[in-house]
Amino acid sequence: MSEPFYKPRFLRVFTGLVYLYLFIPIVIVIVFSFNSEKSLQVMQGFSFRWYSDFFNDPTLMDSLLTSVQIAVLTMVISTIVGTALAIGLVRAHSGTAKGFNILMLVPLITPEIVAGISALLIFSQLGITLSIWTIVLAHITFSISYVTIVVRGRLATIGTEVEDAAQDLGASKWESVRLVLVPSLWPAIVAAGLLVFALSFDDFVLSFFTTGEDAQPLPVRIWSMIRFGVSPTINAVGTLMMVVSISAVALAVLVPRLFGRRESGVKVLTGAEE
Amino acid sequence: MTSKRFWDWFIFPGGVWIALLFAVPLCLVLALSFGHVDDFGRGVYGFTLDNYKDVFDPTYVPVLLRSVGYALATVILCLLVGYPVAYFIARHGGRYRYALLAALVIPFFVNYLVRTYAWVALLSDQGLVNNLLVDLGLSQQPIQFINTPFAVIGGLVYGYIIFMILPLYGSIERMDPSVIEAGKDLYGSPFRTFLHVTLPATQAGILAGCVLVFLPAVGDFVSAQLLGGPDTYMVGNLIQDQFFAASNWPFGSALTVIMMLFLAVWMVFYLRRASRGEAEVL
Repeated sequence: MSEPFYKPRFLRVFTGLVYLYLFIPIVIVIVFSFNSEKSLQVMQGFSFRWYSDFFNDPTLMDSLLTSVQIAVLTMVISTIVGTALAIGLVRAHSGTAKGFNILMLVPLITPEIVAGISALLIFSQLGITLSIWTIVLAHITFSISYVTIVVRGRLATIGTEVEDAAQDLGASKWESVRLVLVPSLWPAIVAAGLLVFALSFDDFVLSFFTTGEDAQPLPVRIWSMIRFGVSPTINAVGTLMMVVSISAVALAVLVPRLFGRRESGVKVLTGAEE
Repeated sequence: MTSKRFWDWFIFPGGVWIALLFAVPLCLVLALSFGHVDDFGRGVYGFTLDNYKDVFDPTYVPVLLRSVGYALATVILCLLVGYPVAYFIARHGGRYRYALLAALVIPFFVNYLVRTYAWVALLSDQGLVNNLLVDLGLSQQPIQFINTPFAVIGGLVYGYIIFMILPLYGSIERMDPSVIEAGKDLYGSPFRTFLHVTLPATQAGILAGCVLVFLPAVGDFVSAQLLGGPDTYMVGNLIQDQFFAASNWPFGSALTVIMMLFLAVWMVFYLRRASRGEAEVL
């Protein structure tokens, strides 16, 4: 083996350095969220001061609640719509299905700012006041595509035999979907839902363009906090948000295992083939 | 009910949703880009090319070019940094492969603003990096990182490198290691083997990664806003300004249309390859 990259020592060190680069900023945020002083340079002592600041700030608590509400609504609706879309795209062999298989990728590769502006324009055109609902509508649009990709990946590995058998035994088409197909897709559906929860909870750009004056979601609030200057409360908020979204993603990875499948959750999420 | 019809009903809700809340709004942006601002500062539809003339005004052209330049630099850095990492995980990760991948994905699920903000704290004049450099005697006085192109590009790399590494990983993992052996016999030197065998074999991942990093990087405004200043503003900052501070929606729409036209080339390229199974889909 004499490929240039086959020098595990060099590769290992390089990879290690990249992981350091990826994790140092995050560790800094976490460590300084427990600083007893306002400094972001020197760790003076340990305290929960910034966390209690956060929990005692009614606007920030409102924002936290708003963010969770948005993420839950986005998760529920986009999971239902996205799963149906995935099933349709894989099972229907029509031209519509073929075209949509590709078209539904477009929202994912379009820069978020474009989606944000488009949403802002349609809401103002229709005279809809910006609120938590406009954010949810905007979030669902891109979330549908995520759910569809994850569920479609799982569907591709499932044949139609069991459904056919169910129909031979007298089930209607709809029953075979509801009683046979959907249950076998549960791991992917739950994983996709949790992934979308995390993405929606963390989203800034779309929320920024579609938020109203009241009850802005946390990332939008963080944006104005950062612009008004550095505040250690941001570290505390950032750390808490990290805990929420990483828990959701960790669950998404673990869920397929909880369903008693031996395949990795990473595989389900990325739709990786064997 | 024919079988075909039955399955098409499943596509219906999602299809209509994406059409109404994605495709139609995009057309509105296009329509408003030909409009103008009325006396009350509101955007109204019309037919004028003035906004497009403004886009190519010497004041704004440098911003457009800068955006493309920063995004290209971001893509190149992501590729140079990401390839060895993806290669290491795919080829030498062994049973830790999924753990390593999971660890790679974690920072991506930390809010982008918080991550960028962490870099602001690290790189500021009194930040940890400068303190360290001065303490170690590597620098007499603090080096200015913030407000430089390097900081903005660094922020973009940090934000989007995951979109490079995942497709690269996919294509490297799929590659048959025996072709490397064959290449070694055929080409001799490790470098030539890499150039003639590994690189072409992982082309799908490279192309997908480059497009998936380039697209969001061009439209980004967070990195330039937080890590840069007016001299490093990108088209995203300009667009965002038109919809908030400057409140010139038609001009903002024209900027968006121009950006999208430029990006559409890359999007179509990517989608065509993806549809033929020649590009990794994230």
